[in-house]
Amino acid sequence: MEEYNSGDELYLCVFQCIEGVIGGTDYNQSKVNQWTASIVEQSLAHLVKQGRPLKYMVNCTIMQKSGAGLHTANSCYWDTTTDGCCTVRWENRTMYCVVSVFVVALAL
Amino acid sequence: MANMDDDLADETVFVVEDVRKVVKESIEVTIGDNAYQQNRVNQWTTNVVEQSLSQLSKLGKPFKYIVTCVIMQKTGAGVQSASACFWDNTTDGNCSVTWENKSMYCIVSVFGLAI
Repeated sequence: MEEYNSGDELYLCVFQCIEGVIGGTDYNQSKVNQWTASIVEQSLAHLVKQGRPLKYMVNCTIMQKSGAGLHTANSCYWDTTTDGCCTVRWENRTMYCVVSVFVVALAL
Repeated sequence: MANMDDDLADETVFVVEDVRKVVKESIEVTIGDNAYQQNRVNQWTTNVVEQSLSQLSKLGKPFKYIVTCVIMQKTGAGVQSASACFWDNTTDGNCSVTWENKSMYCIVSVFGLAI
């Protein structure tokens, strides 16, 4: 059974996707829908291209900076020897972006 | 015979309604009418995901589950969330529940993957 790819590689891949979509932009309510969709789709495409026998779930949340508190948690019921997750936190002057990737091996 | 086949099919398919019920109950029980409190929110998100997960595993289906919970204080800020999944469309699924009270939003997403 294949293990999920190393954390660093995954982190870098996702970070670059985020930079590519929202790097250098300010929070814009009319575009944020498009941004989250692009980030998850691009991240997923990169992961799938690796051609491993794995299932992926990519979740992206973008929040405007306004002093509000935001808290996220996740819990997983899976095979701890083969499955895993990675969370990337990114921010600029006007918004926060949190992307979580969950990788699950196919049971053979 | 037809009924037995349906039951068998149900066993390995993600049923959104069952999951939605489990999640709503977990949120109600954990947060209920509480107002947003920074020093408690850590515990709330943990409890919501753990409670949801244990109730889901009690359903006894051959599934792996991933539960995420986001709690956000209401201050007029905008927030957007999206997810994309690469899996088996016939058996896997997800369910998102958005709940709110006067002072905060709670968004819980459950992803279920058939083994």
